[in-house]
Formats: sequence, structure tokens, C-alpha cells
Amino acid sequence: MVQTAYMGDISMSIGIVYALIFLCLYFEIFLLVSFLERKFGRRGAKERAGITHFPHVAIIVPCFNEEKTIGATMRSLLALEYPREKLDIIVVDDGSTDRTFEIASQYINERDTAHGIANVRAQQRTDVPTNPKCSEDVAIDLNASEFRNTMCGVSRVRIFHKENGGKHTAMNLGLEKIDAELIGCLDADSIVEKYALQEMVSIFKNPKVAAVTPGIHVKNPETILQHMQNVEYRLSVFNRFIFAALGSVFITPGPFSIFRTSIVRRLGGWRYAHSTEDMEMALRIQAAGLLIANAPRAVVHTSTPRTLRALYRQRVRWTYGWICNAKDYRYMFGNRAFGNLGIIILPWAIFSIATGIYFFFRVMWYGILYAQGELMRIQIMGVHPQLSYDPFYINTSALFMLVVASVAVILVLICIGSFIGTGSKKPPMATPLFLFFYSFLAPVWLLAAVFRAMFKTGVQWR
Amino acid sequence: MDPVVNTRTARWSTYVVAFGITALIFATALYASNYFNNQRIADIRTTQDNISTDILSIETQFDLLQQHSCADVAENTILPSELQTLANQLSYMEGHGQTNPEEVIRLKRLYSLLEIKDYLLMKQLATRCGLKPVFILYFYSNEGDCTDCQKQGYVLTSLAQTYPQLRIYSFDYNLDVSALKTLISIDNVKDKFPALYINDKAYYGFQSVADVTKILPQLATLKKTATSTSAQK
Repeated sequence: MVQTAYMGDISMSIGIVYALIFLCLYFEIFLLVSFLERKFGRRGAKERAGITHFPHVAIIVPCFNEEKTIGATMRSLLALEYPREKLDIIVVDDGSTDRTFEIASQYINERDTAHGIANVRAQQRTDVPTNPKCSEDVAIDLNASEFRNTMCGVSRVRIFHKENGGKHTAMNLGLEKIDAELIGCLDADSIVEKYALQEMVSIFKNPKVAAVTPGIHVKNPETILQHMQNVEYRLSVFNRFIFAALGSVFITPGPFSIFRTSIVRRLGGWRYAHSTEDMEMALRIQAAGLLIANAPRAVVHTSTPRTLRALYRQRVRWTYGWICNAKDYRYMFGNRAFGNLGIIILPWAIFSIATGIYFFFRVMWYGILYAQGELMRIQIMGVHPQLSYDPFYINTSALFMLVVASVAVILVLICIGSFIGTGSKKPPMATPLFLFFYSFLAPVWLLAAVFRAMFKTGVQWR
Repeated sequence: MDPVVNTRTARWSTYVVAFGITALIFATALYASNYFNNQRIADIRTTQDNISTDILSIETQFDLLQQHSCADVAENTILPSELQTLANQLSYMEGHGQTNPEEVIRLKRLYSLLEIKDYLLMKQLATRCGLKPVFILYFYSNEGDCTDCQKQGYVLTSLAQTYPQLRIYSFDYNLDVSALKTLISIDNVKDKFPALYINDKAYYGFQSVADVTKILPQLATLKKTATSTSAQK
């Protein structure tokens, strides 16, 4: 009787594992099939050259104590290949206590780089109106204080300082101060490549599109952890791309998402949204029945955590925000009215958290048992490894093969992400590390986020 | 079609195709796993057949002892390593949740019978030919009621590696084999695990290498070697 119950428990446990692996594999295959079915072509310089309409764009740079990175962010914005009179750069200093404001202010009088503006002017079409007020001579003569409250026509950069209130308040202040057709956000720890904006604005030709997300890459990865994140971001390039194709993007990330200003205003601007306003805004756009597109060739490089502790904090915040926002928008889950988003993408995003935690505990449990056994063996028999080259002992269990298949599909998705994002099918060097170790790291912050969401302890940006 | 965004309406054919491919991958994995397991079982059967033939051969030679010397018989006895290899293979099959547990249990039954046969034959040979084989009968349970069985297995493996001529016979106490039940009954081995039956006496609970060496002084007469095979369970 005891034996029967014991075996029954094992069978149930194995059954759960097989069911979860089936669902994981199914989701990966679903994304792959969706990609292959659409036979996407890469957009390149040829399509960019066809841009005839340059809408007025305002990029908001919300920042709080970003003295180390704001300079690079500003330089990359000023180097954007885009007609200067069509681009406003609004820095909103959200109560920084360091030199962020001072450093950002240096860029008010910054003459646009020869490379950036000269090239744009050479490429400008005849239908792009030229604003006579946008004279570089005038811009250099004026002082910074006047620029802060002057609309475009003199300088592209304006800076506002406010009491600290969170990123959403900084974005909303920027929203109040602009009259551009499109509004973008660029986190002050990110830099954009010069054609990024042109890649994105061309997509707004489709009137159904409310927002466009870029292809985000890790900025100068140095540590092993950053290299692993680099692989993760390549996978995200693919995910963001295919989610857009499925009409299912549910995050408009801080690094350089562009929105139609009229829609953002109509929706009521940004909200606190559990410290993840980028998720909430995307969900609100989706709930309104609008589309979010993706331009993977609009390349943005963002700073990533260098240490495990910093990564943990960032990911707990993201996951916590996602869980709380999912709760707020729970009516979308399983709702066919929201198409692929409601049917598979959102349910999967929550399910993957539960699956990650389950597999983590399972692997840890069996890992501990194995380690105990090995320790016991070493104590009795010495440290001689029990290696056997007999093919009899090669693991050929169905479970093992399915895990290998699942990892192989993820590898394919990473390669596609690399191709979409960089043009090279070669995955980053740290891909093996990502595949073997990252899945053990992620459940740690997933667990912490679930715990915080359950007990409503909240999270902090820093 | 817009290259970067589509309407979000679900295309059901994608769901069906993805399901079909996933199911195909699952079916392939299950089939391949089953195929390799059957290959393993075939390997074990072959090994068992070989051992069975060897035993039959020895028995026949034993019956003809009057016409042959003991030395000829002794030289042809089954090497303990063969039985231990078989034990390892069965232990692996049992421990890796294979798809056909009934077949594994059937093979274990046959293995136990072969062990008993080898044990009895070696005892007879010892009496007739004056050999001094050293035996350990090990009784374990894998029904979750023996916390020290794994540890005991390591001790016996260690001993088997050190003394290749030591004959260790491991039995699943709960296996439904009448010959095994008879052996348990004759030797009066109780259901307390792990149990070692050495020199006509049962020892219960974990026995370390030092304990076994103390219980079995004949070990000193066996040749030590560096090469070995494992003998868990």
C-alpha cells in the first residue's frame, strides 16, 4: 500500500513535469511558427531612404541621479539623423541630488555634431519645412535660462527641474510641455543609434499604430552577468518583434519607446503603475484596442546591472510590477477580444513565472539529494569520480530529450533575435552560460517578486 | 502585410500547427527513449543469458567432477564482476524511472535467481574442491524504509573494488521470487535494513568498511587490487 502511494506520487510529479515541458515547448514552437509563417524581411537603408514625412517628435529624458550616464544619452540624441527643427529633447530632472542637472545643462548650448546635422540636412526632402528660427548662430548666443522656457526654434534641448515624484511624473511633465505629434521616452542610462528615430517614425504611417518599441541591446557588456544579459536581450529582440507581429506587445520599454502624443493624452498620460509605468501604458494601449509595433533595427543600447545584487533589485521590480499590473488588467487574460494577447501571450507571461519557480524547486530538491549522495559516496569511497564510458549509461530518457529540444528551440530563437537585431545569425559568446545558468538565477527574483506581490510589500527603484 | 505589426486577431492555424509540431517532438522523444530502453533491456537479457549459460556449464562440469579436476571448474566460475555489472545496469534502469518498470522487475527476478544459483554452486564447489570463497549476502529495500541502504551500497562497492574476488550478492528483500523468500527464510533474515548475511550470521543496520572487515577476517586472505567495478545494491 505504501509502495502504491509512493509510486503514485512519483507518477503525478512526472506527469506535472511532462505537462509543463509540453506547454513550454508549445509556446516556443508557437513563436517560431508565427515567425516563419510571416516570412519577415529586414528593413534597411533602402526603406529608410523612402521616408518622406518627418513628424515632429519630442523625446523626454526623465532622470534621477544619472550624472554618470546622462552625458552619453544626450550626445546620442543630438547625433540622431533627424531634421533638427522636428526634434525636441526634453530633459526632466526628477529631483536629482547629484550633478545630473548641471551636466544636462551643458547640452543646451551644444552645437549639433557635424556628423549628425550635416547628414540629416543632406538627406532632407523638399517637403520638410525649414524653420528660420532654428539658426545655429542664434542658438549659441542665447543663454541657458532662456532656453528652458523657449519652444523649439532656438535649441532642440530644454531642461526642467522638479521635485522627485517618480518616472511617471517626469514623463507627464514632459507631456505637458510639448506640442509634438510623437512623444518618446529615453531612459538616461541608454543611448540611441543615429538612425533609430527614422526607423521608428516611418511605422506611424499606419494610423492604427499607437506606439513603437525599438530593439534594445546591452550597452558595452563587461561582466559575465552583463554578457548573460546581452543574450537575454537578444532573445527579447525576437520576443518583442514577434509579439508585435501578433499584436501582443505588453511592454513599451523606457529606452526609446515612441508614442502618438494624442493617444497618450487621450489615455490620461503615465501612471505610477507599481513602479513599472512602461508595462501599464502598453496594457492600457492594448485595452484601448490600439496597436504597438516594433522596429528592431532602431537600435538602443541600455546600461544593465553589473552585479547580481543590482540585477536582483531590477528584476524584482520588473516582475513585481508585472504581477501587479497583470492583476489590474486581469480581465484581458483569456479574453478572445484581445486576440493573441489575451489567449496566449498574457497567460503565458504569468504561467512562465509559476513554471520557473516550480522547476527551480524541483531541480534544487533533486540537486540537494544528488549532492548528499555524492558527499556520502566520497566519504566512503574517496574522491574517485564514477565515470563510465559504457553507452548503456547515456541518458536517453524522454524527459532529458525534451529538455534538450526545448533548449535547442530557445537557441534558435536567440539566433533569430541576433539576426533581427544585428544582421548576424551568430548568437553572443555567452549563450551557453545564459542557457545553463540564467534559468537558475531568474527564479530567485521571481520568488522574491511573488512574495512581495502577495504580501504587498512594494518595491523601490533604487 | 506590415513587417512589424499585424492585427492582433488570433490565427488559429498557427495554434494548431504549433500543437502538431510539439506533439510530434513529444512523440519522437517518447519513441526514441522507449527504443533505447528496449535496447538496454536486450543488453541485460544477453548478459543474463550469458550468465545463465555459464552457470549451466559450471553445473555440468560440477556433475562431471569425478572426471575433471577442481582446478578446471574453479577457473571457469563466473567472475563476480559480471554479476556486479548486471547489478549496476539493473540499478540504473530502476533508478532512472524507465518507461517499462514491469520489465525491469522481471529482469531483477531473474538476476536474483542467477545470484542464488551462483551462490549455491560456489558453496558446493567450496566444499568439494576446498576453495575458500568469501561471501556477503546483502538485503536491501527500496520502498522508502531504508535510509542507510544507499550508504551501505557505497561501502559494499568500495569493498568490491578493493577485493575483486569478494562475492557480494545483493537482493531486493521485497522482490516476489519464491527462491529468494526461501533463502530469506532459511537464513532467517528479518525485514530490518540494510541487512548483511556474513558467515551464517545476519547483521542489521549500517556496517562501515571497518565493521565489515572486522566481521569478515577472511577478507585479509583476498588479493587487493586497484581496478574494480561498482556494486551498488
